[in-house]
Amino acid sequence: MTGSVLAVLLFEWKRALTLPRMAWWAILAAFPVFIVGLVRFIAMQTPPRELWAGLLFALVPMLVTMLGTLLWATPAISTELERRSWIYLAVRPHGSTAVLLGKYLAAVTWVIPPALLGLSIAVPLAAPKDAWLLWWAMVRLVCLSCPAYAAIYLLLGTLLPRRAMVLAVAYTLLFELVISFIPAVINKVTVQYRLRALWEDWCDIPALGRQATVMALMGDAPPWQHVTILLLLVPALLAVSVAVLRMSEFSSSAESDV
Amino acid sequence: MIELRNVTKLYGKVIGVNDITLTLADGAYGLLGPNGSGKSTLLNLITGQLRPTLGRVRVLGESPRNNARLFRRLGYCPSGEGLYANVSGYDWVKYLLRLQGWNARDSESSAAENMELVGMADAMHRPISSYSRGMRQRTKLAQALAHNPDFLILDEPFNGLDPVGRHELAVVLRGWLEPGKSLLFASHLLHEIEAITQSFLLICGGRLLAAGTAEDVHAMMEGLPNEIALRCSDAHTLAAMLVRERAADSVSISGDTLTVATKQPGRLYEKLPGWLADSKQEVFEMRSADESLQALFNSLMKMHRGEL
Repeated sequence: MTGSVLAVLLFEWKRALTLPRMAWWAILAAFPVFIVGLVRFIAMQTPPRELWAGLLFALVPMLVTMLGTLLWATPAISTELERRSWIYLAVRPHGSTAVLLGKYLAAVTWVIPPALLGLSIAVPLAAPKDAWLLWWAMVRLVCLSCPAYAAIYLLLGTLLPRRAMVLAVAYTLLFELVISFIPAVINKVTVQYRLRALWEDWCDIPALGRQATVMALMGDAPPWQHVTILLLLVPALLAVSVAVLRMSEFSSSAESDV
Repeated sequence: MIELRNVTKLYGKVIGVNDITLTLADGAYGLLGPNGSGKSTLLNLITGQLRPTLGRVRVLGESPRNNARLFRRLGYCPSGEGLYANVSGYDWVKYLLRLQGWNARDSESSAAENMELVGMADAMHRPISSYSRGMRQRTKLAQALAHNPDFLILDEPFNGLDPVGRHELAVVLRGWLEPGKSLLFASHLLHEIEAITQSFLLICGGRLLAAGTAEDVHAMMEGLPNEIALRCSDAHTLAAMLVRERAADSVSISGDTLTVATKQPGRLYEKLPGWLADSKQEVFEMRSADESLQALFNSLMKMHRGEL
């Protein structure tokens, strides 16, 4: 089983080494650098550290990892079904599970490097106070957000392969970008809430203090709790994805799936 | 090899497979049926991709659904293409062998061996996007054979192949069939199946119409009208004569071709030369596929549709 997962990972990486995909990789890495450079260029005076921290958080652990994993993990099953290559994989021992997990790893390992590369160029470019602390906080956030988002998008793509991208975009807009900012209990179900709380703590943003609105948006749970939840979320979501996939029926005929 | 008990598969209100009960021993079988007859649904049930709505499916003694142990012994070549454009045939077969649980070295040697076996030695390192349809079919067959399965399921494997290619792959498949190996070969073309095996299953409208050898089905067909087509100089006169002599149960004329259905083909064959000579009819062509599988297929279809 492990060998099969690694085979899928290597195969997906090999297939990804094409000009269009590498271009996407480069765009993901360049995007935060470009925005930070732009802010640096047009700013009349050096922006405060808090602004850089917020901007880097929005650009890298949020945007780059979300977009990257959305594009890679969501269509993991649907592309195989549309191409009708699924059947060749599904009749292998543990084939569907191996493909799911292999593609998950491929998505994570494909998105983390451009995020870290972009971050590693953008932080020195921004040159905020405590740049090293900020960089290290963002690295940890990327390493937590990427697996979590990839697992969510993979599950959404498994639940509804025919409408995977629509579902993933709707989820992102509704849950991660709207509900996560609602100061109520419901925002705790989002990854964004956890990442934001960790960002506030790890980036040491004193200006936010302990105001009521800040507390509602980020909570007062200790960082280890958020990290644990994010880490546990990944195997839980993957297990559900595998279970859903094993229960699904995909025929090899033109009907695609039933 | 395969045991189906009252297997029915419904897609909503549409019946894919309708109450099929069947037990097949090891060996080679052709699954014959027109397009849309339920062949692919049946194969999807046998490979565990679909769950039967009703009934039970057993393959090599086991349920095929999510069955890793069974998948180690199963080779499947589906009818659709589903190949990766920017990957070479060799890499694809090797990848599928790795998914089969094989190590890297064995996967490489078996992939190369089987690509060579299907006649793809020269092109195996080229990207699949550069392959012709026939080459893709050969590559698909290579992936099905590469892990040396005990039971091979092929769905329309000769699609897109030229006659030489069909012959070559038929030779490969006949060579592959050895004691202990089993094959289920689905096609809508009789001659493709006849090139591999004489045992067949006939399916139409999701129902199994007949199973066995050509001889078994012949026995079932006793008493059913045989069809003979005659292209002659005066089809109307000949038709009238055959009706008058009570040698035909039905006649139909299309252009200069007279199609005769008779329950007494022996008598017709015996008397026909004399009648033709007496009426000074010229016969340009006479076709009777009665001894071929095609005639059985046509007649069973008519029985199924209630036309006989």
